[in-house]
Amino acid sequence: MTLLTVSSTNHSFTNISKISTKTLVQMNDVWASYDSKNYVLREITLSIDNGVNYAIVGQSGSGKSTLLKLMNGMMKPSKGQVKINYQTPDTHDKKFKPLMAKIGYIPQSLGLIKNLTVIDNVLIGALPRIGKLKSFFKMFPENEIKEAEKILKLVGLEDKFERKAYMLSGGEKRRVAIARALIQKPELLLADEIVSELDHVTAREIMNLVADAQRTFNLTAVMVHHNMQLALEYANRVAVIKEGQKILEIGVEGDRIVDFQTGNMTQKEIIELYNQ
Amino acid sequence: MNQKNNLIIGIIIAAVVAASYNVGADPAEFVKGIPNLGIIIEEAIQVEPELLGTAFVSMFETIEMAFIGTIVGGAISLPLSMLAARNLNSKYVYGPIRAVLAAIRTLPSILWAILFVIMVGLGPFAGILATIMYTIGFMTKLQYESIEAVDADPVDAVNAIGVSKSQLIRYVVMPESAAHLLSQLLYTFDYNVRHTSIIGLVGAGGIGFYIINYIKFFEYGKAAVFMLVVLATVLVIDWISVKIRDKYIVKTQRGMEVKARIKTS
Repeated sequence: MTLLTVSSTNHSFTNISKISTKTLVQMNDVWASYDSKNYVLREITLSIDNGVNYAIVGQSGSGKSTLLKLMNGMMKPSKGQVKINYQTPDTHDKKFKPLMAKIGYIPQSLGLIKNLTVIDNVLIGALPRIGKLKSFFKMFPENEIKEAEKILKLVGLEDKFERKAYMLSGGEKRRVAIARALIQKPELLLADEIVSELDHVTAREIMNLVADAQRTFNLTAVMVHHNMQLALEYANRVAVIKEGQKILEIGVEGDRIVDFQTGNMTQKEIIELYNQ
Repeated sequence: MNQKNNLIIGIIIAAVVAASYNVGADPAEFVKGIPNLGIIIEEAIQVEPELLGTAFVSMFETIEMAFIGTIVGGAISLPLSMLAARNLNSKYVYGPIRAVLAAIRTLPSILWAILFVIMVGLGPFAGILATIMYTIGFMTKLQYESIEAVDADPVDAVNAIGVSKSQLIRYVVMPESAAHLLSQLLYTFDYNVRHTSIIGLVGAGGIGFYIINYIKFFEYGKAAVFMLVVLATVLVIDWISVKIRDKYIVKTQRGMEVKARIKTS
């Protein structure tokens, strides 16, 4: 526990605020608040390189979902800077729209349209590429429909194209949400606790699917978890958020924890520390 | 607390009594008037079935008026509701639109009917126009309330993809509120059949036109035939809309159950 307190005052990460050519997400001393009084995030500085699988871990209420909303511009920081590919994310800014189309966002509730079919839900991800009039009459180009079918096969839903979203199981719904994000041809995939409500087997299936997709499409993934074990298993880097602050950030290579500023620890020790 | 409640109830009763006295609503007059009701009923039960044909034809005209009014009014309402919904627009858009809609709603259908009879003359067309206006005022309120009740999560998630507002409406708002919108359309049609029967009283066509004329000439037996046809029709339409509503609303409820079950698992 003392270790956590020590590292929470460690500002060494502000030193990596220089934007390297590989950096996709950059946050500099970011503070965020919903009511301009209580800060849900404080002094967040992090940078995420292209192609990395980045995990943000924290207990509920720690501010990790807010972190994702800052990255896709659904929320603006009260203080500090957020840059995605050198642009300031803001969903209300027209200039940011082309980049929004390249950020796949899967909220915890998944945000599927329950009365639409699986394939229509997936095609929603392609909407920014389709003209307003054509999309109004649901006239999707043949290549987009082919693409949607291809991605649905990839996520293992080839026999459920015409199934309404409300009829799917929890695991299947997550596959649809992932497919909707993938058809965006995203550079960045943001996923908020998408496996937390699933059983262990299904959770790993979904995590494997994301890992495969990440390799296939060469994308950068930022995934929020509250399960440290899962984060260490799948991520290259793990940031731990506690009460709105980043208390530590570690690199993971297989079973080894690398570039960890407070010394060498095993995965087991990290998990124990996190669970305290 | 109880004493306070009693006091409030007492005040309300006193207010009703005072207001009745003020407008001259005298229960004694009501009792005195009961024999008159007897005369009307006596005449009304001398139903003249030969009028049934005319009654059905005029009822059909009323249904047609209500149908046109509901569909055209509903079609105009939908885009207006999208503009009046607070979750889709800035207050500079929904504010003025809501003010106009509220103004439309203030006029009861019978006043719209009088207005259109003056504008386009006696007949069903005036009735249709009145029904359209009434439907717009009434339906937009129901519609923008259900649009505002659409789950914010899918709206936010799809919005974050960078879709246009029309795409958001087409792919999120419409499918998510479709069951409600359909149910409201049925309810409005149901209601419009009833009130279109009434607006005939001011000469705006349909079955009400016959009813008022027979009543004016004290031919209660003839008026009764037409009123019975209205009653039967309203019951049938009510039954049909319940069936349609069940079919579609039960479906979405099942969707919600599945969602709830997964959340708790």
